[in-house]
Amino acid sequence: MDDGSTIEDAPPWRSAMVDVSGMSLAELARIAPEDDSALGVALRRLLADLDRPVEPVAGFNSAL
Amino acid sequence: MHPHTLTDAAFAALGAGRSSAPVHAELRRAQLGKHLLLLSRIARIDPSLVATGPDTQTEQHAAVLTDPMTGLWATTTLAALRAGRAPESPGYLGGRLAEAPRRTITASHRGLTATLRIEDTSPLRARLGLRPADRLTDGELAHWQACLSDAWPVLVDRHRTDAETIAGMLGWIIPVLPDSSVRGISATSADAFGAVALSTPADGRSLAVALVHEAQHNVLNAVQYLFDLHRTPDARGYSPWRADPRPASGILHGTYAYLALTRFWRTEFRHADDDAVAAFEFARWRDAVAGSAAEMLDSGVLTTAGARFVGALRDEADGWRADTVPPPIARLAAEANLDHRLRWRLRNLAVHPGDAHALAAAWRHAAPAPAMPEAGLTTGRGRVLDHSTRLDLVHRSLRTPGSATDEATMPPGERAYLAGDLDAAAVAFADRIRADATDHEAWTGLALTTSDPLLTDRVEIVAAAYRETAEPRLDPRAFAAWLAG
Repeated sequence: MDDGSTIEDAPPWRSAMVDVSGMSLAELARIAPEDDSALGVALRRLLADLDRPVEPVAGFNSAL
Repeated sequence: MHPHTLTDAAFAALGAGRSSAPVHAELRRAQLGKHLLLLSRIARIDPSLVATGPDTQTEQHAAVLTDPMTGLWATTTLAALRAGRAPESPGYLGGRLAEAPRRTITASHRGLTATLRIEDTSPLRARLGLRPADRLTDGELAHWQACLSDAWPVLVDRHRTDAETIAGMLGWIIPVLPDSSVRGISATSADAFGAVALSTPADGRSLAVALVHEAQHNVLNAVQYLFDLHRTPDARGYSPWRADPRPASGILHGTYAYLALTRFWRTEFRHADDDAVAAFEFARWRDAVAGSAAEMLDSGVLTTAGARFVGALRDEADGWRADTVPPPIARLAAEANLDHRLRWRLRNLAVHPGDAHALAAAWRHAAPAPAMPEAGLTTGRGRVLDHSTRLDLVHRSLRTPGSATDEATMPPGERAYLAGDLDAAAVAFADRIRADATDHEAWTGLALTTSDPLLTDRVEIVAAAYRETAEPRLDPRAFAAWLAG
């Protein structure tokens, strides 16, 4: 995955979103958005995104 | 529980449009988590809406969880619940689990397979913003399959990176109705990861281009879910591929999609150096992508992560600058970009009436031209489909040399422009402006053929002040020369 422009020893990019792909709905539903955990932070970010919906990205093919 | 993490090398490769299978897997995991989080919030508000819904325990349930229609449903349902409204389609999850599998089109070549499910029945599919087509007939489905069968070997053999991105990131096609003003139309939504809304492709190459383009949007949507790339995502500005002002996040989307298309056309041109369309598309988008990336990096709208991402994007495009394109085609490509920017300025930048009046009054009194005013961005009018008669003619002339200049109905000036007779073209464009000072294509044609710096930099000011003079015999070239002092 090296593209030739890697910054030597650059730290990895860590998302505010945690990996919950292995969790069940029941487990996740118990977490409140006010929760101070990493999951609570991720939830608040998700809900903030929901409050500012973005339009679909449309493309037009003019070349063919 | 750990945060989604990408190495700097992987993040830079993503920015350069060269993502890999492990990164695709990470992005897919993040999107599955997004759907789970959305459904969990719905469950806290109204458990009955997800009581019959999926979990991750069976393949069938996992398929519904990663389904882009589930993402659309969960997003709109949660938004409705939080706003105190009754959600639409409350029985969606149970119904989706009971539905028959969708029809698919598929192709395999040299160990790489693309399988695309056809979503042509769910009412949710209209939420991608384009008008959905009716359920495909068997004949229509066969056409889609034939296009994929033609496209896939070309993608795998010559555009392997993009083919891997398509195979890893796209799973659904939502057929939509065509738009009469453009040849092909397509869309993606951040709420429908893995899906692309697409009008019927004319042939395999059209489908290949559309899939390369839309896969990039899906990748970027997934990246933006994980990382904030913009400090001010809503700041509007110029985008080389749209007629309307776009928010910063939309400009990045266009730049990222066209990065992959530039690479596509570069490879096609290198494969067949007599392919004039490929040479033109490569030259045009190479400059547009590099310019747009540079503007983003200079604008201050990007976060640290955004600057790293776009920096890698710009470096990728800059690496293609040394490639040579036949000079006549390079000229047409550069002028197509300038033409687009000028049309955008005429359409979207407004000159204050008082400023235009002051310039026209000075002209009438044979006074020196006042200082040039600034034009401001007009208020948004929503998505605008861009159409250029000149660009159509250029494409036609590239596909079949000589064909465009045979057009009997060609607007004045265009034949001379295509033939490279710029003096004759300028005379014709000036005549068109005298007849109709609101003819945007005549103004841009005059700018292209005269290379007057004032026309190429501030065409909207010249046009607005010229209209204000209300002198139908006035030569716009003389007026522009007076304005320039």
